[in-house]
Amino acid sequence: MAGDETQVETGVDVTRLIALLLCLPVTLLLVLPLALSLLFILPSLVDANGFAALLDHPQFWGSLRLTLFTGITSTALALLLALLVVALGATSASQTAPLLAMPHLAFAIGLGFLIAPTGLLARLIAGLFTGWTEPPPWQTVQDANGLGLTVALVLKETPFIVWAILSVLNRDDVKQAFAGQRRVARSLGHGEFAIWLKVLLPQILPRIMWPLVAVFSYGMTVVDMALVIGPGQPPTLANLIWTDLNDGEVLANQRGAAGVLILTGMIFALLAVAGVGVSGMQAALHRFYAAPARGIASTGMTFPLWTVFRLVYFAVLLVVALQSISGIWPFPNLLADQFTLKAWFRLMQDGGPLLTSFILALTATIAAVLACIIWFETTPAKLDRIVLVACGLSLCLPPLLIGLGQYRLFLHVGLTGTAFGLFMAHALPVTAYVFVMLHGPYRGFDPRWRAVSDGLAAPSRNFFFAVKLPLLKAPLLAAAGVGFAVSIAQFVPAQLMASGRFSTLPMEAVTLASGSNRALLAAYGLALMVLPLLAFLLASHFGKPRWSAR
Amino acid sequence: MLKLHDVSLSIRPSFPRRRESRLSTEELVESPDSRLRGNDGMKVILQPFSLEIAAGQIVTLMGASGSGKSSLLSFIGGSLDRHFHSSGDISLNGAKLNDVPPNRRRMGRLFQDDLLFPHMTVGENLLFAVPALPRAERLAMMETALERAELQGFADRPPHSLSGGQRQRVALMRCFLAKPAAILLDEPFSKLDTELRAQMRNYVYSHIKARNIPAMLVTHDRADAPDGGRVLKIMTDGEVRDV
Repeated sequence: MAGDETQVETGVDVTRLIALLLCLPVTLLLVLPLALSLLFILPSLVDANGFAALLDHPQFWGSLRLTLFTGITSTALALLLALLVVALGATSASQTAPLLAMPHLAFAIGLGFLIAPTGLLARLIAGLFTGWTEPPPWQTVQDANGLGLTVALVLKETPFIVWAILSVLNRDDVKQAFAGQRRVARSLGHGEFAIWLKVLLPQILPRIMWPLVAVFSYGMTVVDMALVIGPGQPPTLANLIWTDLNDGEVLANQRGAAGVLILTGMIFALLAVAGVGVSGMQAALHRFYAAPARGIASTGMTFPLWTVFRLVYFAVLLVVALQSISGIWPFPNLLADQFTLKAWFRLMQDGGPLLTSFILALTATIAAVLACIIWFETTPAKLDRIVLVACGLSLCLPPLLIGLGQYRLFLHVGLTGTAFGLFMAHALPVTAYVFVMLHGPYRGFDPRWRAVSDGLAAPSRNFFFAVKLPLLKAPLLAAAGVGFAVSIAQFVPAQLMASGRFSTLPMEAVTLASGSNRALLAAYGLALMVLPLLAFLLASHFGKPRWSAR
Repeated sequence: MLKLHDVSLSIRPSFPRRRESRLSTEELVESPDSRLRGNDGMKVILQPFSLEIAAGQIVTLMGASGSGKSSLLSFIGGSLDRHFHSSGDISLNGAKLNDVPPNRRRMGRLFQDDLLFPHMTVGENLLFAVPALPRAERLAMMETALERAELQGFADRPPHSLSGGQRQRVALMRCFLAKPAAILLDEPFSKLDTELRAQMRNYVYSHIKARNIPAMLVTHDRADAPDGGRVLKIMTDGEVRDV
């Protein structure tokens, strides 16, 4: 690490060999497994049986309609809400972190406890206004139209898009440029709203394209969330596929694989349509930009939309915590008849899923952070592009696609059902996130620190441990926190790779979601929420600078 | 004695068009006609030149922003961006430096920014530069350096609580604690206000003279050059001339 870069004329081969060895960790954790997984998908492309079986599936068209509705609606609404949140004044990207840290699955579980007919919301309404004695006939969770799933997706993805927008806006160069453009536009007689729409938005949207693609892809393919809060008859296409993939029959598997490919192809097709649509609208858009200023002053409207979001997340956390210690809880009562820690004792007694998830998250995060550090310290920046493409693919391609390929690959090399296989399945997305998060801070590290340190005759070791690591402490810990949260939330690849021999928190929670022990489900939901939150709190606590400068 | 023999610099054609090289504190802007292109497509930044700097002498190198003056210091210090191609020999007190790792060249460096490590106290910043010795001796050297910086009692203060002039004095003392055999000054005064600048110049130059080591100063402000010192300028075609 941080070796002296001496140019040795002879022995180039040795240097090359060492360089090759040092880029191996990232390659083995991310690039190679991803590439091979995608390769192992290819045979299904020419498997006519699978496609025929899929089209014959009685629920296929219903599922497809449902998936299109939930995927497109949730992405559009989340984007709209995120833009509103930012326009209405949210400014700090770090505020989004605790919200992002909550796994989708845990959020869906909590939201269910909140908005279900027997949920806390209905109890509140009953107690305060209507005096219901029976649960209201709400179609809020597992409703046939997927509205519950859509709401859950919107609420969960909005903070992510807010984060993406704010990290663009908070870049120093963008901040300065936008402030200047705002002043100019104001002096030309445009109102705040027009400035947002005509000047800032057209510059922001292209820059958050990839996060939007990831959100859309996620919304179209999410499995765990839909199993908890989505409809069952028919289910979303992703869940139809999921059932097939977990089926013991070969034809069902083939049908599932065909479904994965159709789903992926549909996402690409829709993205292409969106792309064509946007470029087709350019002419109209530019007429709109060039339209004269109407001089509409700011409406002065302020609404703490962001606070509403934080309250929803807080309420979700609270209701899960409450449910996990509640015993028998008859309907209109606001609180349970008795409180008990039984569910928690059960969770601790089971132990396995909690421990497995924790160990997997810890080892995958440590491996990913170390691998990325070794990569950035030793590999020329021009090779980053390859890894960044792999990161983009693993963040934007459906987990079902990668998971299926990985399952086949690992089956081929005898890794399914092994602890190492499970670890590799978790390490892939974790490494992708960690690499993306560390890329900027690491490659943007001011080279003058090294020059000064060299001028002080400090050994490379001293520079690395006493200067570089402390200066990169905050982004390193933040990346580790995100990696940990990503690992905890893994469901699709984990379930496939575990082959029934291991159980993790999300796997257990999904199983419990179809059962009747709500307190135990809540306990697992809370464990899912608390672990990433803890990682985030630790990361931001230890990531604080030694002094608050200036 | 710091010797540069037939030193020249050029940029590889692959060098991004407007890439800020923070190592040289100046933006390297490609201006298509201002530099000769060699037959290998390399853009010449500095034409071959030679220079000798005696102990205690301070040579000033001037040039427009982007002329490559800071890149030359990076070449001498051993931290040249890999987009550059360099040739020629650097030697210090008779020993050739080209293949010596940057942290064994004993080339102290001062930049425009003080670059005190923000996560260390003033005292820790100084100790970072003190060679491995018994603890008591190291602490004594740190205290002496603080005295010379006229900052007794500041050891436990975080760098950001000091004024710009104080920080630059600490940076100079930190530099000297590592016992450099030569010192490279990359516009170290340009961020200080006018009054402080004159003070800092005197302070820095008197300490360099007292140490009796060669120094090279890069600046775009003629007033920075010490009285009677040799002044060179990088012309637009990359030629280095006395002015």
